[in-house]
Formats: sequence, C-alpha cells, structure tokens
Amino acid sequence: MMKPMVNVPVIENYQVRLRPITAQDLELLRQWRNSDFVREKMLSTALISEEQQQAWFKKMVTDTSQMHWLIEYRDTPIGAVNVKVTRRCDTVVTAQTLEPGLYIGEPNYQGNIVAFAPSLALYDYCFFVLGTKTLHAAVKRDNQAALKYNQQLGYEIDSRGEFITLRLQKASYERQTVTLKSLLSRTGKAK
Amino acid sequence: MNNQQKLTQTFVQALGIAEEQVSDGLTYNTIKQWDSTAHMILIAELEDAFDVMLDTDDIIDMSSVAKAKEILARYDVQF
Repeated sequence: MMKPMVNVPVIENYQVRLRPITAQDLELLRQWRNSDFVREKMLSTALISEEQQQAWFKKMVTDTSQMHWLIEYRDTPIGAVNVKVTRRCDTVVTAQTLEPGLYIGEPNYQGNIVAFAPSLALYDYCFFVLGTKTLHAAVKRDNQAALKYNQQLGYEIDSRGEFITLRLQKASYERQTVTLKSLLSRTGKAK
Repeated sequence: MNNQQKLTQTFVQALGIAEEQVSDGLTYNTIKQWDSTAHMILIAELEDAFDVMLDTDDIIDMSSVAKAKEILARYDVQF
C-alpha cells in the first residue's frame, strides 16, 4: 500500500516564505547542496548525484520523521530548511525534540541577516504550533559562523568534540530573538 | 557635523573600527567586526543618528557603506 504524502504546511513570516519542496526544485537544491560554500559546512560533504537526490525525494515525501521546505525571499528561492526527529519512533508533529537544518544556496544572501528569517519562521512553528520542547543542532568544530548563528538564536552548547552539539529551549529562544524578530518583521516606511 | 561625517561616525561606533576603514567599498561580512550582531547594532545606531525607521527589506539590503547611503537617501537623508 502506498504511504500517504506528508502534509508540510506553507509558513510565511519575517519576510520569507517556506513552502514544501516539489520535484521541480530538486535540481536547484542539488546544485546548491553540491556547491563548495554549502557542502563544506555540512556534516556529510559527499557530492549528491541526481539519482541519490531523486531517491531522497521519493522517500522524503512520505516520511513523517522529517519536513523540508524551500525558502523564498521576494518570490525567489534562496535556500532550504528542514526539521527531523531525533528518535526513530517519533514524527515531526509529535516529537518533543527536533533537529533543524538550514542552508542559504543563493550567493547574494549567504552570510546576510536574512538567513535568520527562515529559522525564526520555522522555530516559531515548532515551538508555538507543534509544541516542540527542545531543538538540537550539531555544527563542525571549525564552523564558527554556524556556532555564532545558533547562539544568536539562543542555543546553548551541550558538548564539544569533533562536532559541537547545541540545545535550544523556547524560553531562551524567545529571550534571545527579540531584536532579530523586530528587525525582520517591519513593513512600514520611514518615520 | 554633516551627514557624511555622521554616517562615518556611526559605522565607527557600531562596528568598533577606525575611521580610515569606513569607505563606500566597505562591505558586510568582509571584516570580522561587521557580522550579523554588529549589523543589528549598526541599524539601531543609524536609525538613531538619522531619525528614521528602516523597513526590513532595507535592513537586509544594507550590505555596504555605499548601499547605506543609497538607502538613507530614500528616507530623505542627503549626502
């Protein structure tokens, strides 16, 4: 029997739109994922083939343990974001703990403050809609930019080894992101 | 103090850099002092110095000193 498709919602906030990934997005995602800028920061640095990408997509659309979105800013794709469960028996909707992932593939926005917007939109969804208790992250020890990025979102370091693992809880997230949220939610013009 | 001097001083204060480093070509994320944390401070100080409130697209677009001048000009700040 065919598994049902996972219902991944569209999330719009902080000037970005997160929409479910479709088959038409796969080649763009593969190009981004295989670019040096993105790949060298990933825990797995292997190049992704077209076949691997197709197989990943086929599995992903019916897999309740993960959700993936394309990030759009000003109606243009700029990157991808996802959440996954940390325990096999969970689903994204019911899990107490989730592990988010993000990359900005569009070079014009890499390192830009807009890179915080998809995380804010996604974390709001996790903490305030799904009721997630904790978010986990792991970054390479030498990836200081990712470490700082996560700390600005309120993550605290759990352990240091080959990878640095971090943990984020709702209260810390809310406390730490007040300024970021205010800067990324404005729509009005000058005083 | 004219607006150019005010702009330079704001970058100096917000990023903690020398006045000589502030030129039109200075770009976000190309010096360690101008990272995302400093960018937030910079935005707050520019708003304070020029009495404007920037919208989010302008905060995202403010990727260099030259771009800051271009954006502030849209808020009636003349250079």
